[in-house]
Amino acid sequence: MKFFSFLLLISAFNIFGADEFSCGSIECDDFTINISNNADLQSGLSTYMNYCYGCHSLQYSRYKRVAEDLDIPIDLYIENLIYDGSKPGELMKISLSKEDAINWLGAYPPDLTLEARVRKPEWIYTYLRSYYSDASRPYGVNNLVYKNVSMPHVLEDLQTSLPEKEFDKVISDLTNFLVYVSDPSARERKQMGVYVLLFLLLFTSFAFLLYREYKKELK
Amino acid sequence: MLQWINSRFPITDLVERHLSKYPAPTNLNFWYLFGFLLIIVLVMQILTGLWLMMNYTNTAEEAFSSVEYIMRDVEYGWLLRYLHAAGASAFFVLIYLHMFRGMMYGSYQKPRELIWLGGWVTYVLLCAEGFTGYVLPWGQMSFWAAQVIISLLGSIPFIGEDLATWVRGDYLISGITLSRLFAFHVVLLPIMLIAVVFFHILALHEIGSNNPDGIDIKKHVDDDGVPLDSKPFYPYDITHDVYALGVFLIFFCAIVFFFPGGGGYILETVNFEPANPLSTPEHIVPSWYYTPYYAMLRAVDFSLFGLTAKFLGFVTMAAGIAIFAALPWLDRSPVKSIRYKGIYSKIFLAGFVVSFFVLGYLGLVPPTEIKNILAKVFTIIYFSYFLLMPIYTRLEKCKPVPERVPT
Repeated sequence: MKFFSFLLLISAFNIFGADEFSCGSIECDDFTINISNNADLQSGLSTYMNYCYGCHSLQYSRYKRVAEDLDIPIDLYIENLIYDGSKPGELMKISLSKEDAINWLGAYPPDLTLEARVRKPEWIYTYLRSYYSDASRPYGVNNLVYKNVSMPHVLEDLQTSLPEKEFDKVISDLTNFLVYVSDPSARERKQMGVYVLLFLLLFTSFAFLLYREYKKELK
Repeated sequence: MLQWINSRFPITDLVERHLSKYPAPTNLNFWYLFGFLLIIVLVMQILTGLWLMMNYTNTAEEAFSSVEYIMRDVEYGWLLRYLHAAGASAFFVLIYLHMFRGMMYGSYQKPRELIWLGGWVTYVLLCAEGFTGYVLPWGQMSFWAAQVIISLLGSIPFIGEDLATWVRGDYLISGITLSRLFAFHVVLLPIMLIAVVFFHILALHEIGSNNPDGIDIKKHVDDDGVPLDSKPFYPYDITHDVYALGVFLIFFCAIVFFFPGGGGYILETVNFEPANPLSTPEHIVPSWYYTPYYAMLRAVDFSLFGLTAKFLGFVTMAAGIAIFAALPWLDRSPVKSIRYKGIYSKIFLAGFVVSFFVLGYLGLVPPTEIKNILAKVFTIIYFSYFLLMPIYTRLEKCKPVPERVPT
């Protein structure tokens, strides 16, 4: 009862809460995380390595781990997705130096390994699809989600050449890849969790039966 | 063999008195399970902490990436870290329930004042443990929460600034602060915690457990001196505890394996950004288990008698935690349990519970004018439970406590 009135109180307070949009100046688009499909994650990885990795490192992740998790043969991976001769066991650091980045771009592009945990996946999905032309900005583009963003519209080619649905799929795969790389153990964790819970249910049932037997003795 | 040991160290007697034959009241209920669960969580935190420490680096440069190293490159490192992080939250859930049990059934009353104080010291140490542990991942929230909390010391008149600098070991939060908080977190505080918990349990077993009716079961004993209204811990209580452990672990593991971030309440999203002294996060919030006190801190926004609002807020917050220690001397009721106390005790206890939850919520959200007023009101309700207790426990009419445990 007390807890119920607490819940009521919370919902009452939310009426007074400042209403901000969930994604900058707009509401976030719906996005459902799906990291179970390796083909989607591979496509996300390929978009990332080709369009983002020039500036945005994944410095806590290792090439080999990504290859193994996403089921990519390591030879193929080394040949096509390691550009600077790094060894597969190395961290995914980029060759862009901080100094050059600040000279050329005005800021150092952040590492994105944990981006999907810092921001919500739906934020990333909406953000990458919300560029619009704005002549007043240095790169001629602005973003509805991230006002006066300093990143140019890197995916412009894709957005103009692909039908909207296909472009959305590219971004969705890319977002799912970022979700995967932010917590690479998630799939193993959930699999293991099922067995752990099944064991605990069994254990607790027997513990309950034992408890009940002894309780009878007391009466 | 056992005899050889027993004539030199009475191990059998010790185990029988403290564990297997410990006489527990027959009417113990659900609320008496949390002490056992707290010990399990303490052991789990020590073990997972030990293994995390093997791979963690306590420098400002390396701390953040060493946590990601644990999450990615250490075998089952993610499991260790998620268990430890969710374990911290579980620790507080359980200790709050355990404390509430004590308040509800008057377990702090004579002759259990020292047991209660031991528990209170455990809680304070746990708060310190939670705070120091929170800083170690060296994310944005680690850094700024440390900044806010340590700067509170700076509000103390005259000595404040020097004290804060002394605690930080630097003029700003830095790697020096990080490595000393690490030393506290893994050495000093755990040693103190284990010692105090040991005392708490030892004292309990010497005096005996209270029970939901607050009846002194030692008044009626059999020929061997065993209370009539008791049952031996083994097998009757241990089986209850193990069953409870199973239920607890189902909830706990469901969180660890399926919602390890706990929706931002176990692992704050902002803390996945490395500490950056040049950029302040939009809202700085402490972990959920401190938010009732954080709300009190923010509720005091006026200066008084030449003391700054910040200092008064700090004092209010500290008093909110400290005041639990005074409970045994504030309660003047002739009975222990809420079951036999009068209507005022029930109203004030309910007020306390509601204010604890509401303040906990208010401490989580950005302040607004109306929320600040609410925080003030509920801070007053929170303290009135304690401060008015000597009055209302004497005024109310209590029900008579039965001699023996009712069946």
